[in-house]
Amino acid sequence: MNNKFMQKFIEVAGRIGSQRHLVAIRDGFVAIMPLIIIGSLAVLINNFPAFGSFDLVKILNNIFGEGNWQKLGGSVWNGTFAVIGLLISFTIAYNLAKTYELDGLSAGLISIASYIILVPETADWGLNFAWLGAQGLFVAIILALLVTELFRLLVKANITIKMPEGVPEGVTRSFAALIPAMIILALVGLFQALISVFVEISMFEVIFNVIQEPLQGLGNTLPAALVVSFLNHLLWFFGLHGTNIIGSVIEPVYLPLIEQNANLFQQGMSAFDVPNVVTKPFLDSFVFMGGSGTTIALLIAIFIVIRKEKNHPYREVAKLSAPAGLFNINEPVIFGLPIVLNPIFLIPFILVPVTLTVISYIALSTGLVPKTVAILPWTTPPILSGYLVTGGSVRGIILQLINLAVAVIIYVPFIMAGVRAMKEKMGGQ
Amino acid sequence: MKIRLVCSAGMSTSMLVKKMIEAAEKQGFEADIEAVAESQLKNQLEGLQVVLVGPQVRYLEGKIKESLEPQGVKVAVIDQMAYGMMQGDKVLQQAIDLNGEN
Repeated sequence: MNNKFMQKFIEVAGRIGSQRHLVAIRDGFVAIMPLIIIGSLAVLINNFPAFGSFDLVKILNNIFGEGNWQKLGGSVWNGTFAVIGLLISFTIAYNLAKTYELDGLSAGLISIASYIILVPETADWGLNFAWLGAQGLFVAIILALLVTELFRLLVKANITIKMPEGVPEGVTRSFAALIPAMIILALVGLFQALISVFVEISMFEVIFNVIQEPLQGLGNTLPAALVVSFLNHLLWFFGLHGTNIIGSVIEPVYLPLIEQNANLFQQGMSAFDVPNVVTKPFLDSFVFMGGSGTTIALLIAIFIVIRKEKNHPYREVAKLSAPAGLFNINEPVIFGLPIVLNPIFLIPFILVPVTLTVISYIALSTGLVPKTVAILPWTTPPILSGYLVTGGSVRGIILQLINLAVAVIIYVPFIMAGVRAMKEKMGGQ
Repeated sequence: MKIRLVCSAGMSTSMLVKKMIEAAEKQGFEADIEAVAESQLKNQLEGLQVVLVGPQVRYLEGKIKESLEPQGVKVAVIDQMAYGMMQGDKVLQQAIDLNGEN
């Protein structure tokens, strides 16, 4: 492999992976993930499928009256997944401010206030859930970054109120943010006033129509899913945390797609009919089983190929990696086998996920398997994840099993080649 | 000896930390070892001697070095094979050797 090219690649990937604003975006999404998962589970429980004669939804409806108990899940959804725009506007500003060693709390609050200033009011002076949620995600991100940068400039320029010594730190801090906050909110307010007077549309609609919607449309296609899958694994092949590096780009595009699915599912649409095929859970549960590279299949393939030599190095690594592998954690196998920079595994490590992406895309888009309607913790083991992301469908599990079988079949010959190469190397010594 | 391991989410590295603590106990070596996210490092500065960076986030090495080396903290990327095989003793040795360098 060309060493200079490799160095360059790692360098560029590293720069993206540690770029301040991208890191703030990524960490902002990481921070709200627990809330998203809770909202998602609330929807799943509300629409839980029947097991033969055991129908939880029906039983609960009989006890509490039709639809009453589901208000609980619905309310939880409203406070979590339904308002991710609002949540993210805080967490991104907070994280970005932290990297500048500024007061994250102040920056986050200013960002939320700015966000609300721009949200179009409803006729009866209400906030529109549509814009507080996934549709407002891009506005939230852009605004959080802009506002925090402005906040930094103002604080660094020392346009703050100084408190005499002896005043408690909390008080000093809230006053330090007062003038920057005033200037920023006045600017955002002025902007909103000008826009509503002269052009009569909201910033939210503009950004949604011009940036977010086209990107989402693009994201929900097979080629985009393949690019994501390919890039992720190429990075991992170089030993870099793929999902981490491209996460800041992936999350904003793919989160609204799953939100739309989950929301429609919540309103009673079947998981077969929801619109979006490609989502993050789609990749997590059908492609990245056992972690990037579908390494759970690699482990199975190792146990199939190497049965006799109980202490073969591959087998040792596989044994060591299996428990964590069930929960989609696969650093041991990636660095221990190793897969990283190992020419034998380059092909299957990229070919497997790309193939599985194609199979899964076809299965979902032709309606053989329901689409994804829930976000789960990424550590949810395969089989369970296939069942849950599809809103409780056995077909999700079947697709996972087929994918696993295909992946094992692809991996087997490469493991045989690896074993042979290892033997020759040993023999030559 | 105070050692911090840095990785992305702290999942796989915390497995390694467990192995390192076991290795340290076996050797009767007193060590305070934890896995943290990069952003939490600055809250851990007190008495910090060695920072080991997970190989999957090795691109953070430069940045961490820049901010911590002036304060006398030793920074290195964890040996990849030792990381993969979860060899706590080897990684612990790496930290001890690193701390011994001047």
